Amino acid sequence: MNRLTSKLQNLKESNKKALVAYLVAGDPDLDTTLDLMHLFVDSGVDVIEIGVPFTDPIAEGPTIQKAHDRALKNNISLKMILELVDKFRETNTETPIVLMGYLNTFISHIDLVQSIGENSADSILVVDVPGELNLQTYGITNPNINTISLISPTTKDDRVESIAKNSTGFIYYVTLRGVTGSSNLNIEEIKTNIQKIQQYSDAPTMAGFGIKSVEDAATLAACSDGVVVGSSIVQMIADSSQSKEFDRIGKYLREMKTAIS
Amino acid sequence: MTFSNSNFPDKEGFYGEYGGKFVPETLMYALEELENTYNKLKDNKDFIDEFYKDLSHFVGRPSPLYFAQRLTDHYKSGSIWLKREDLNHTGAHKINNTVGQILLAKYMGKKRIIAETGAGQHGVATATVAARLGLECHIYMGAEDVRRQSLNVYRIKLLGAHVHPVDSGSATLKDALNEALRDWVTNVDDTYYIIGSVTGPHPYPMIVRDFNSVVGKEVIDQSKDLFGKMPDAVVACVGGGSNAMGIFHPFIDIKETRLIGVEAGGEGVSTGEHAAPLNDGTPGVLHGARSYLMQDESGQVKDTKSVSAGLDYPGVGPEHSWLKDIGRAEYVAVSDDEALKAFHEVTELEGIMPALETAHAFAYLEPLMKELDSSANVVVNVSGRGDKDINTVAEIDGIEF
Ligand SMILES: Cc1ncc(COP(=O)(O)O)c(C=O)c1O
Repeated sequence: MNRLTSKLQNLKESNKKALVAYLVAGDPDLDTTLDLMHLFVDSGVDVIEIGVPFTDPIAEGPTIQKAHDRALKNNISLKMILELVDKFRETNTETPIVLMGYLNTFISHIDLVQSIGENSADSILVVDVPGELNLQTYGITNPNINTISLISPTTKDDRVESIAKNSTGFIYYVTLRGVTGSSNLNIEEIKTNIQKIQQYSDAPTMAGFGIKSVEDAATLAACSDGVVVGSSIVQMIADSSQSKEFDRIGKYLREMKTAIS
Repeated sequence: MTFSNSNFPDKEGFYGEYGGKFVPETLMYALEELENTYNKLKDNKDFIDEFYKDLSHFVGRPSPLYFAQRLTDHYKSGSIWLKREDLNHTGAHKINNTVGQILLAKYMGKKRIIAETGAGQHGVATATVAARLGLECHIYMGAEDVRRQSLNVYRIKLLGAHVHPVDSGSATLKDALNEALRDWVTNVDDTYYIIGSVTGPHPYPMIVRDFNSVVGKEVIDQSKDLFGKMPDAVVACVGGGSNAMGIFHPFIDIKETRLIGVEAGGEGVSTGEHAAPLNDGTPGVLHGARSYLMQDESGQVKDTKSVSAGLDYPGVGPEHSWLKDIGRAEYVAVSDDEALKAFHEVTELEGIMPALETAHAFAYLEPLMKELDSSANVVVNVSGRGDKDINTVAEIDGIEF
């Protein structure tokens, strides 16, 4: 079974919530990204989401945009990212990895995406492909890769159903109208919408996009199967990119993991 | 009357393999709402009447098809006709589309208008129609374009709109589009996004085409009246492709008319420093649509180069990509230098100062008139006037005010 599917299933069976943490590959450099991935795992992260940098990331707020720009200055490509995953897998074969990015970077390297093996990345999340469109249409048919679709507060009921059915990894519930890192969470709306999604699908539903604090994470975990944290970590990475002292990130993630358990 | 009899795009918004809706999920609902509204209104008599009434009384349509005597003499062959979109209110073709889209916004009850702009013409056209209806308006513009189109920036502000300079990426049109999309994702409930070209996700390329098609329809009637047949060629510059699509579209089934789109060749197509995706790009996905795109082998979008802010864009409307592949339209490029030469030439010969974008279309007359036979009628779409470019041209000519 796919590493991501079984991990999330195990968590659910033991009544635990998943902590998904995001970083951008190559920000500030690939060696540091590798160190950070291990730090994530040591601090309680269940799933790592690796941002694949793109010149025009239309769903990202300023914090993650800047991280994409920094990574692109290092000429980070999908090939380098898959090599990074290989290195990570030398010592960690447990933690699921999701590649999150934009369609153009994946279809430009369709051969690479198709050749991803069992011991590599586990899932792909393409931000600019609507949920009911199948990635197979774009030549992504690799059985080792499952797909994650997004559902947002503006998704209408009939589409919730078809998107939920298409999502093989987890369903990513976008908790606000906005780009990553915004801050206008509406908890009541989120609760109602996640309940609606769960009527249609047994796939785990993760909440993400505006989680900025341990408190946000705790609140959202209470009504979902887990949370995705991105911008706040990416900001901490940027703040410490010179010193490379990332203890603060470890502490933040450990607090988060405790708060959502 | 209907806007368009085209079979394209298909239900999913594709022109052949180009187009589509590649957007974050949050926008899917808004695109569907827009498509449903447009499909309902485009055959509604009241809506059509209101649109054409605004085009004649507010924009000043129809624009003339003007015989360019001295330019014709200059090339010593054929007859050159100018479709005078430069005479429209606000000075370019962009107003045709904004007059139509603001009506859609009104029918949808949206209170807040956003738009991206490159040369500033679309920003001016949007701020103008928003002012007319008293709607809050925000214009995103690359910081580099804010600098080189300062006159239009001031015009937009005078019209009561807010200008947001965009510093990210290359700080030009593509980055302004990114930022407008981000605004839309955030404020989708009460905001209408008026895209300025035949680009972006479905249904925008279709809607912008249909509203601009008034240009081509007028040319068909005027050609019959003025020279009794269809033109041998229609020439238009191509940035995102809205002025070209507007004049080409009614001609698609008129096979005797060659359709020629002129892209920005910048330093020259062979140098790689240009903005000519149809000449030197490959298919990719940007800003919600699949189309020809300037990108590197990793799928990263390349920076573009053009003296003309309105053509300085790495993508192009999906219907142009399709017209290229099926061979119905031809796409060529001219360099900055050729465009600047044409800018001066047309200004001096005809007393008409074209926009730098439009100057690209004029520059292609040089090879084209040699190739066509002496009885040929050629229509150039004069997409806009050049007042906004005086600072840029003066700077290049080493003149300080
Ligand atoms: C006068 C004029 N012509 C042409 C263009 C290029 O746009 P499009 O290719 O959509 O007509 C612009 C864009 O700003 C413009 O201002």
